[in-house]
Amino acid sequence: MPIDKVTLQILSNHCQAAAGAMARTLMRTAHSTFVKESEDFTCGLATPEGKTFASPFDFGATWFVGLDYARGLSLIDRYDEGDVVICNDPYSGFVCTHSPDMHIWKPVFHDGEPVCFAVGHVHNTDIGGAVPASLSRQLTEVHQEGLRLPPTKLYRKGELNRELVDIVMANVRMPEQNWGDLKAQYASVNIGEARVREIVARFGVETFREGVADLLDLAEAQARRVIRSIPDGEYFFADFMDEDSPDGYPARVALNLVVKGDEIVFDYTGSDPQLASSIHVPTGGDERHVLMMVGAVYVLYTLDPSILRNCGLLRPLRCILPEGSIVNPRFPAAVGMRSLGVARLMSTIFGAFAQALPDRLQGGPGSGGPLLNVRTTDNRTGGSVMANISPITAGAGASAAGDGSEGCGANQAFFKNTPAEINEADVPIRILEYGLAPDSAGAGKHRGGLSTTMLFQVFAPHTVLTARNRDRMVFTPWGVAGGAAGKSSEFVLNPGTPGEVDLGNTDVVTVEPGDIIRVTAAGGGGWGPAHEREPGVVLADVEGGFVTVGGAERDYGVAVRDGAIDEAATARRRRAMATGAGNEFFGHSPGRVAFEKVWTRPLYDRLTDLLRRVPVNWRFFVKHRLFAAVEARGADDVDPDTLDDALAALLDEHPQLRERVEAAGPA
Amino acid sequence: MSYRVGVDIGGTFTDFFVFDETTLETRALKVPSRPDEPGAEVLEGIRQLEARFGVAPGEIAHFSHGTTVGVNTVIQRKGARLCHFATEGFVDVLELARLRTPDVYDLLSKRPAPLIPRERVFPVTGRLASDGGELRPVDRASVEAAVGKARAAGAEGVVVSLLNAYRNPAHEHEVAALVREMAPDLPVVCSTDVWSIIREYERTVTAVIHAYVQPRVSHYLTSLQNALREAGVPAEPLITKSNGGVMSAEMGKTACAQMIMSGTASGAIGASRIAALSGYRDAIGFDVGGTSADVAFIADGRPQYGVGETIGEFPIYIPTVSVTSIGAGGGSIARIDDVGVLKVGPESAGAAPGPACYGKGGERPTLTDAFAVLGYVGRTDLGYDAVRVDVGAARRAVKTLAGRMERGVEDTAEAIVRVAVSGMYLEVSKLMSSYGVDPRDNALIAFGGAGPMTACFLARELNISTVVIPTAPGVLSAMGGLIADLKNDFVRTVYADLHAGTASAIGEGFEALRAQGERWLRQEQGYGGPASYIHSADMRYRGQSFEIEAFLDADAIDAGDVAALEEAFHAAHEQLHAHADRAAAVQVVNLRLVALGRTPKPRFEAAEETPAAAEPEGRIPVHADGRTVPAALFRREDLRPGHAFDGPAVVAQSDATVCVTEGFRARVDGYGHLILTQRGESGCRSTR
Repeated sequence: MPIDKVTLQILSNHCQAAAGAMARTLMRTAHSTFVKESEDFTCGLATPEGKTFASPFDFGATWFVGLDYARGLSLIDRYDEGDVVICNDPYSGFVCTHSPDMHIWKPVFHDGEPVCFAVGHVHNTDIGGAVPASLSRQLTEVHQEGLRLPPTKLYRKGELNRELVDIVMANVRMPEQNWGDLKAQYASVNIGEARVREIVARFGVETFREGVADLLDLAEAQARRVIRSIPDGEYFFADFMDEDSPDGYPARVALNLVVKGDEIVFDYTGSDPQLASSIHVPTGGDERHVLMMVGAVYVLYTLDPSILRNCGLLRPLRCILPEGSIVNPRFPAAVGMRSLGVARLMSTIFGAFAQALPDRLQGGPGSGGPLLNVRTTDNRTGGSVMANISPITAGAGASAAGDGSEGCGANQAFFKNTPAEINEADVPIRILEYGLAPDSAGAGKHRGGLSTTMLFQVFAPHTVLTARNRDRMVFTPWGVAGGAAGKSSEFVLNPGTPGEVDLGNTDVVTVEPGDIIRVTAAGGGGWGPAHEREPGVVLADVEGGFVTVGGAERDYGVAVRDGAIDEAATARRRRAMATGAGNEFFGHSPGRVAFEKVWTRPLYDRLTDLLRRVPVNWRFFVKHRLFAAVEARGADDVDPDTLDDALAALLDEHPQLRERVEAAGPA
Repeated sequence: MSYRVGVDIGGTFTDFFVFDETTLETRALKVPSRPDEPGAEVLEGIRQLEARFGVAPGEIAHFSHGTTVGVNTVIQRKGARLCHFATEGFVDVLELARLRTPDVYDLLSKRPAPLIPRERVFPVTGRLASDGGELRPVDRASVEAAVGKARAAGAEGVVVSLLNAYRNPAHEHEVAALVREMAPDLPVVCSTDVWSIIREYERTVTAVIHAYVQPRVSHYLTSLQNALREAGVPAEPLITKSNGGVMSAEMGKTACAQMIMSGTASGAIGASRIAALSGYRDAIGFDVGGTSADVAFIADGRPQYGVGETIGEFPIYIPTVSVTSIGAGGGSIARIDDVGVLKVGPESAGAAPGPACYGKGGERPTLTDAFAVLGYVGRTDLGYDAVRVDVGAARRAVKTLAGRMERGVEDTAEAIVRVAVSGMYLEVSKLMSSYGVDPRDNALIAFGGAGPMTACFLARELNISTVVIPTAPGVLSAMGGLIADLKNDFVRTVYADLHAGTASAIGEGFEALRAQGERWLRQEQGYGGPASYIHSADMRYRGQSFEIEAFLDADAIDAGDVAALEEAFHAAHEQLHAHADRAAAVQVVNLRLVALGRTPKPRFEAAEETPAAAEPEGRIPVHADGRTVPAALFRREDLRPGHAFDGPAVVAQSDATVCVTEGFRARVDGYGHLILTQRGESGCRSTR
């Protein structure tokens, strides 16, 4: 029987307060900077079945709304009071999504029965493996990504499992940090347990159980109501990563979004196959896997910020996740840089929803800026210094409501920068410039947010720069409703000198004393045709330095002469723009337009279709061979049958592959 | 005869609190605020003080004043048209802030537009290194160009904030001198002269807020001085500061950043005084007004301080009494959302139209209306006769929801109270966990117009066993200003590891700060009494990104006792974060000094408590837990020290209504405070 709505609201407040207390305990006691600075953690309460129903929203990572612990919880046979379980294996229950994320759960008992679980995770700075910090795009197997623990009891009936701790500490690079974080997580679930006991004492166990079920139902009802406001239909969108591996070919995430009544299906058929890099998103085929839902949660919350953010929210949503693909990789695919994969998932979701609701959401995503880490030597002390200097962040896409947020926003809005003064005091580098990159935004009636750019100089030999999540050189955030795409990201060594080097999407580079590096994120996409932007607003952008005089004329058709609008020239230029404008909904980057001249949707669909017939371990290899075959033709509008021919040739070349393909039968 | 008068100017009412130094009696008064004519409400109040209580203006020997003019200027964005002269390559310090948007789950969320838009930010060529050394001298031509653009942009002031200036203010001062030479009429402020801390955004935004409010604050203080002079008040007015101290109004005209939070700080100081007097020295100040509730934590009778408090949409990095506003007050509106859940606030009926029962045009049900329906409010006029309560109007308003909730009007009102209180519980308990405050060790000091009405309900929810209601809860902020000390903060960034080699630099740094403090007290405030200095430093383990304030012993500083300074930090870290790493290198980011000159305090003397059962004026029906029960009705002015009674009871007084719910026992202490204790609990410890 549902409990009354007044009591429900009060119970909800108490559960939220419990989750908040867990978060604060974690933040106050954790050691690693990921917790304190990036707030890369979660905590909260889950039902005995593993459905999270309370989480803090003032702090913590934004990616884990509605995290379902069910598959992880079930891997433990028996829970006793005082047990605490940890798990960081992305392939054991698909609760954890990459190895540095250490998850924890503790059952809360009442009269011998578990009434809920106190749960959470922390991104450890390092969990061992091939590279410091355990993550790199170039890793190919999860085994290279550090120590993996399937769900294992850290405490048995309140007794610490010392051997387990020793094993973890022997395998990681900064054991004192891992140990500190683990203690903090333990303190956090204990606070959660204590608070739940207080709540149960206050409301009674029946009201607690029913109330929690009602909270999940309520979120579902709210979600369904929001979904009903979205026009029924099928909305297809695909977005690309520049490279599927270092110096590789593009990788596609394809989404067919099907909205029907109060339910949504996200069909990822047509997305790239499993690759030889670590950008996969490990879902285990779970059709409501939390990482598949990040973009959808953003969308639903943006449409209605009063919506409850718990597991119930995800009930009307369902994904189709082809096996052996980047959204459902088969063990032992590496998954460390799933953040890049998730970033592209979010942008496909935004692109699909933008077609359904062009006036209620922002257009393109914010993306294409790396997390920047420098390892160098302090010339005064000779000591080695390693530090994150700042995320280089992208502008948000524009919307019907207005221009995109400058420098950072939309799905990247949680980022914080590091002050230049702190960077210069802590790290022996000099920051020559940090700010917005003029003209970087996609033009539009409303323009995208400008990206940020940083120019800095290093002074010690063999300085290593890591730029995690480099992307968006070719496929930049797109514009919608006639708006233009944002400008490309860049990573350049010694710009404007004879020794200039375009570092492309490299994510690790060694530089030498005196070298100057420019890093720029991609600009946000525009909304609406640029020639419809008020000339006065364009002039204000010029006055503010957001747009240059040249950019105003080129991108917006507004001629600015001596600080004033040249009306006649503007009218002429804008007439030409209006005539020349197509009626495509999406405005894509020149790189994407050129790519899609060759790789039309039918061609790429055929590619992914064919690859599904190939065994998982062959797919990356075959994809590259098929790409090479298309490249060899050197023409636009390639007939999809070309791919069948190329595959047939490949099967002739490798009979052992033919055997496997024929054994599997037609796709 | 000699009077001390404290005045707090709020959005709706201006509160007066008078202390008679001869008889030790106190008086309180409210008059409507006059945002249209600042100073007018002060004149009106002084006139009424004389008419009602015979307080002659000429006998007002001390006048202190808290004001929201600074914070309102920021909220309403009505400040000066400023320019920012920034280091070339770093013109987006204000635009980017620290990136993060206000609601990170909302894809359309944006940072607030900066107080200085990008078109009024001009680069200046010149660069200092992070050690303060000059990499490139200031280029006069670039300043000339910036001044020209500032002129063209119609600038009313310039903020000079340059990279790494916290290490060496020379470039900022050089640029400011050039501006004064080129444009003598253009006011110019340097970031390092306002609050010289590392982190370019934090330092710049603090200086910008300062310069932004300065013209209005200065104009306002001049009007106030004139009004007092006109009224014949001989006392030079003192202004309460964000740090809980006071300074002269004359000083306030140039030290605006220091008085932004003037109004809210006064409340926390008042609550701290009540905490100290009542003996409940660890307490939570709970100041509930019409639209919001201000929460302040008090430890050992003193308010807590922080930096980075929020002013409107912006943070300010000056030491400020930590007060957090939550969006729930007496005027919070109740509604039913579209999935049928009852919500209260954050929308508020505010001062106009106000709750329906105030009869000023409000029709939607508010928290105050719910209390009126339940029978608690409406037993007397409020706001010192400024408001007449119409219970019928409250019922009509609450009835609009009763139908949809399929409940009676009283039950609906009770649901409104429960939901509102649980919302307050959520916010307050969040704050308690971030401050590490245990409800069992703290009393709740409830004040403001709506605090005494909601206190027992919230205390029950929070598991707090003791509630303290001051004698004049509606005017506690005005009282707070009256008892504040002369106080100023000074800062110097050192950003160095703590070891024997840096001890002398730290000693010298503090010596310089003390000289500044001495000058401020003696010369700028004309203070002749005994001065005291509080030494502290913002410290962290090397590699951490947040520093914490550790209080330092002056002798240890002078002796260069590094071990003692380090230990002070380890201990502070341990207290806040539950662990310390005594082997790790400690970094000193800022040295801080508080200069303090004690002002004479009103002497509140405790009367003898004569235990007796208080005699109620009558019995009234109130609705509680789904039924109607008789409650005792008392008038606050009839209660005497030692009086005691049990809830349910209502205490009516002219500035508030105290609800004593079932299960609480009330006692009047020697100062006239109402001490409400949950029965069956021993109550939290009083140290008196």
